[in-house]
Amino acid sequence: MIHRRPAILAGSLVACGLAVAGGLKLYASPSSQQQNTSAQSQPAPKSGNSEKSGKSGHAGKTAKTGEQIFQQNCSRCHQAPMSIPPRITGTVIMHMRVRARLTGEEQQLLLKYLAP
Amino acid sequence: MMLWRASGLLLLGAGVLYAQSADPPQNNAGYVPVLSGGMGYVHNVNGGVTSLEPQIDPILLLPLGSHFLIESRVDFTGYYQRQNLTSGPYTGTVYQTLEFAQLDWLASTPVMATVGMYLLPFGMYNERLDPIWIRNLQDPPITAAIGNGSSGAGDGIMLRGVPYQNSSFSIQYSSYFSALSTISKIQASRTAGGDTSIFFGNHRLEIGTSYQRYLQGRQTNNVASYLSWQPPRTPLDVKFEYDRSYNGQGYWLENALWLRQSPFLQNIFQRFQFVTRMQQFDPFHGGGNGLPSVGTNRFDAGLNYYFKDDLRLISSYGRQFSSKGNENVWNAGITYRFLLPLWPGRNK
Ligand code: HEC
Repeated sequence: MIHRRPAILAGSLVACGLAVAGGLKLYASPSSQQQNTSAQSQPAPKSGNSEKSGKSGHAGKTAKTGEQIFQQNCSRCHQAPMSIPPRITGTVIMHMRVRARLTGEEQQLLLKYLAP
Repeated sequence: MMLWRASGLLLLGAGVLYAQSADPPQNNAGYVPVLSGGMGYVHNVNGGVTSLEPQIDPILLLPLGSHFLIESRVDFTGYYQRQNLTSGPYTGTVYQTLEFAQLDWLASTPVMATVGMYLLPFGMYNERLDPIWIRNLQDPPITAAIGNGSSGAGDGIMLRGVPYQNSSFSIQYSSYFSALSTISKIQASRTAGGDTSIFFGNHRLEIGTSYQRYLQGRQTNNVASYLSWQPPRTPLDVKFEYDRSYNGQGYWLENALWLRQSPFLQNIFQRFQFVTRMQQFDPFHGGGNGLPSVGTNRFDAGLNYYFKDDLRLISSYGRQFSSKGNENVWNAGITYRFLLPLWPGRNK
């Protein structure tokens, strides 16, 4: 089986390249308003207020807002939730901070965004 | 024994530190205990044999203040087949498995500590994609058996965190040590390992690698490399993983595309997700440990319909090719993620 190793590696690289290229080509140029139609950019959760958190959320090393952190992280592994009841937002974000290896600062910005 | 003493010390230290570091809250997020999890039903036909697989996986989240969290998940999966595989009445059992039961201490950004029984952070599948409501295709990749020991869990201690971050990327790691446990509900292997990845938030691109060493039996190594990419402005999710163990090596590549930009019937098509996955696997030393004994290739295509972010219909077709014969695999079903506060409470 040893002789098949290079083949499997080459196969995997080619497959990956094709997928990436295919993805880019198929949907390369949607207009900027369509950003929200991305699979990963779910509409903002009901309890969040993007205006508010957008303005108050800047800080620290990430220089990102709570909304940006939500958009960039919360669909890495699964569909981002549309809403989280405020009284459990702290619990869920603790859970996700551990799972997704988020920083303390990201946790705080997310809490501000999701339960302002 | 040493391990439990070390955990005790850790917790003691945690208590002291926690007392000094309560943040003033700047939001209305509450910390009420949560019952969440996934449930669903999958109708599977594999090489002509039908299996009925109902499943429910409740998770209990019990916060102790805002820096400690107890989390635990139990899996109940029913597995029913016809008595003579293709004829006769359906019979089967419900299997019950404790999947993790751990205490997390969110001490600081570079170090979060976990003690107890935790999911092994090897590759992407076990820790991130396994829950029924998350997987885009119901059958796990062939190589998901690599790096997950006897039960997918480790018993011991794990550290994880973000040692470095700037405005364009962050570096994340997990490292763990697990003791051997043969106790039936909390089985684990004696193993140590780690995972590290770099995440480019603006590009939603993560590239990572995992390493694991078995400290028992043949003392073998497992490695994985993976990529996860959700290109901004493109309704696509690309996941790729290569795994290698003493028993074999293989890769899988999964693409999930939303049909949001369909030129017609957009309000219907936007809820559909089209998934493909290709995999190739080659055994070493005759395979085994959950891996096939012969070279196996598989292609899957699935179509999922999302009523909401937490409720969907799933369907897929797969074809597996190997020298033992080719097979068709069909799956259809429904999955749901639940999320309930365990008792009513004030917001804070
Ligand atoms: C590294 C992968 C990953 C990332 C990133 C991630 N999640 Fe999760 N999430 C999971 C997994 C896995 C589960 C299921 C937990 C389980 O079964 O143990 C989950 C469960 C949940 C649940 C159900 C309740 C619970 O806590 O179990 C919610 C709500 C949730 N995630 C929200 C989020 C939000 C909000 C973000 C962004 C901050 C996020 N997730 C980022 C992996 C991830």
